[in-house]
Formats: sequence, structure tokens, C-alpha cells
Amino acid sequence: MQIAIQGVGVVGGFGTGVAEMRKALLSGSSNRSIIQLSNCGDPLEIPAFRTDTSRLTEFVPLKALRRIDNFSKLGLLGAYLALEDAGVLAEGKQERLGVVIASGYGASGITFSFLDSFINDGDICASPTYFANSVHNSAAAYISIMLGATGPSSTVSQFHQSVPSALQTARLWLSEGRVDRVLFGAVEELSELIGYAWCRQRGTTDSREISPLLTGTESAVPGEGAAFLLLSRKEESQKGYCFLDQVITGRHLKPGFIASPQDLLVLGADGRREKGADYAVLAENATVACFTSLYGSMPISPAFDLAIAALMLKEGKTFASPFSGICDFPATVAAGGKALESQRVSCLSLSDDDGFGLVTLSKG
Amino acid sequence: MNTKEKLKQILIADLNLEELAPEDINDNAPLFGEGLGLDSLDAVELVVIIQKHFGIEIKDMEEGRDAFKSVEALAAYIDRRLAAA
Repeated sequence: MQIAIQGVGVVGGFGTGVAEMRKALLSGSSNRSIIQLSNCGDPLEIPAFRTDTSRLTEFVPLKALRRIDNFSKLGLLGAYLALEDAGVLAEGKQERLGVVIASGYGASGITFSFLDSFINDGDICASPTYFANSVHNSAAAYISIMLGATGPSSTVSQFHQSVPSALQTARLWLSEGRVDRVLFGAVEELSELIGYAWCRQRGTTDSREISPLLTGTESAVPGEGAAFLLLSRKEESQKGYCFLDQVITGRHLKPGFIASPQDLLVLGADGRREKGADYAVLAENATVACFTSLYGSMPISPAFDLAIAALMLKEGKTFASPFSGICDFPATVAAGGKALESQRVSCLSLSDDDGFGLVTLSKG
Repeated sequence: MNTKEKLKQILIADLNLEELAPEDINDNAPLFGEGLGLDSLDAVELVVIIQKHFGIEIKDMEEGRDAFKSVEALAAYIDRRLAAA
């Protein structure tokens, strides 16, 4: 069954909303900043793509947000932006709407604040508000409650394959007829803890540029954000972006897997040295694009690739990959501003355990 | 800083009342419903906040009900308990 993408809601290092994402795609630049970590012993600084959720107050009164943690705010903003983009926000209560969220780390900031309060102040003084926000499905629940969505509400976490897994859930709900629409979202926050873990694993890097298509080179920069898609069955869709043709997940993908070599392949390569060569082997001789330099490295990166692929299909043209001049494997990097020759765009993401996710979008 | 002022600062910080400044909180306004607009989850959070910041454990809910009427009542309750300790 084909699924239609009716609306896109994004917030990331590039800004808030499709218009700001498009602007970053055209300029090839994003807002990378330096974050300071206070819990690594010595003060540490790392480059990162942070997000600003201040536009959320356009949709939700500030007072109603006071108990909501940063992770859920990211999710809420992405959700409202997707509904606004689809033109259905004015409909009011979103009955028969399902909500499924993908996240690699979940609400790590508030979860560890809760554990800290537990450890530092004792179990009797552990914050009930922190606890409520640390529950795995809290962001999806906030979204469902605030939108009046009465369909299923769920959160999927499968680290780097969280996005394709959650998309499969969304497809299932729609094909079963359980809902008329699904708000699919991917959320990741760069909490103090994740920043600390990043430092421990990858060191405190300098202000280098991300070179995702240069294999064997470590250039990853952490990011955070949310990318949401409003999905519906094709036959019930109105004018939207494009269609979701297939979602494939598995392990040990072999070279030559690409069903249609003429399709544009968006790579989830994000500058992590250990995966660069794998992307190069799989994408050898394909026409590729890569946009991680605009939003950074995070488990839910493929959702941003999907948002960009949907925009390309809607507009019928390509966007240039930032730093596309640096590519050390035999692939053709799609030029920007050209007419999109293929009818389909596939997004490939690889995980550390040899897993893969391949999501294909088409003009329909 | 007296207990009332300290309490107002703690309430704003720990209950994320971002839109308020300490001087915006009326000493005698109800904490719940009209007034500061707190709710039942805030009541649970308040019990934790009082123990965490002042070392006072509120076990008797009837006692807590009176103390939670306003900032004035809560500050007086805290001062009484600290003096008796």
C-alpha cells in the first residue's frame, strides 16, 4: 500500500520549519555552535548543532509547557509544524490520528535528571515531574493529548534503525484501517549526558567541517532536532509532497542492492569513520546526495533525509550536497538546482551492528 | 533573605513558573486553583521541594492542607517546623 506524505515539520540546527530547511539546503550552511559540558571533569567544548524550540509558544501557551521537558518540546514543535504544513491544524481535534515517535536515545536529559535527583536527594525526594517526563512514551503522549488524537500513540527505539522501524509501524496502522492519518516523528536531544558520552567516545574535536563522503575520516558533529511527517493512505490524500513506496530493514546489505540504479540515493553518512567505508561500498557508482552537514549526527538522522527527499520530489529538483566536492569513492554526487531526473528517491541508513534501513519515496 | 522570599524563588525555579517574578506572587493568594494556579501534581512536587530545600517532611496531609493555602501560610509553617526542630 502506498502512503502519502501530506505535511513535513522539522526543527534542527538549520532552523525551524520547511522554509528554513529549504534555505539551508540552498545556501549549504547551517548553524553550528559550540556547547560547553560541565560534567566531564575539566570543562570541555564540542561543536554541535543545537535547536531552538521558542516557536512552540505560537502553538501552545507558555504556561501549558512548564512541566514539559526539552525532548517533548522538540516533539511537540515538530508535530505542530507538520500539521500546519499540511494545512490541517485548523481542523481542531485530530480524531483517528495515530502518533508514532522514533528515537535512539529518548528523553535522556530528563531521565538522568530524575536519576540524579534520586541519587542526590534520596528516593523520597525524587521529582514526580521528572519521573513523568522520563517515561518512554511521554513525548508521544503529550502530542496525542494536546492534539486530541485518539488513535494509538507509541514510541519506537531501535537506535539507528528507529526511523524505519517506526515508519513500518505507521504503515501497519494505516493499512489495518486503525487510523486515517499517522503523525510520524523522529526526535533526538543533545543532552548533557549525550554530549558527555560523545566526548568519551569520540573526543573533543576541533571546529572541523563534516565530510560525510570522505571515507576513513572522522568528522562527525553531534546534532539534535525533530523531523515529522504527516502520513495518510494514498487514496485519501490531498495534494501533498510525495508517496512512501517501501520501507526495508535488515542486516548485512550487499553491494549492488539498489533496485533502480537511476534512483537518487540519499546517504545517511554522517562523518563517523567506522561507517564511511560501508556507505562507499554500497553506494559505489550510484548517484548520491548527503545532507547530514546541515543537521549533524544522531540516530534519527534518516528522518531529516526523508524530509529533504520529500521536498526534492515535491519541487522536482535536486539540492546540492554540502561539501559534495569531497568524495573519495566512485559515485556521482547529484548537482544542486537541477531537475530531478528520477521518479524515486531512496534514503539509506546504516547502523553499527551491520543493520540497514532503506526507505523509498516516489512521485507516485 | 527571609523564608517567604526564598520560597518564592524556589517555587519559580522548581515548578518552572517562567512567566512569574518573585514580586508577582501575592503572599496571601491561594497556591492552587485561582491565584498561582497550581494543581494536584504540583502538590506532590511541593512536598518534595519542602523536604529537599528545608529538610521538612510533611507526613500529615491535614497539616499540609493548611500549609499549602498560600506562600504566607507555607512560609509560616516552615518557620514553625524549623524552630521546633
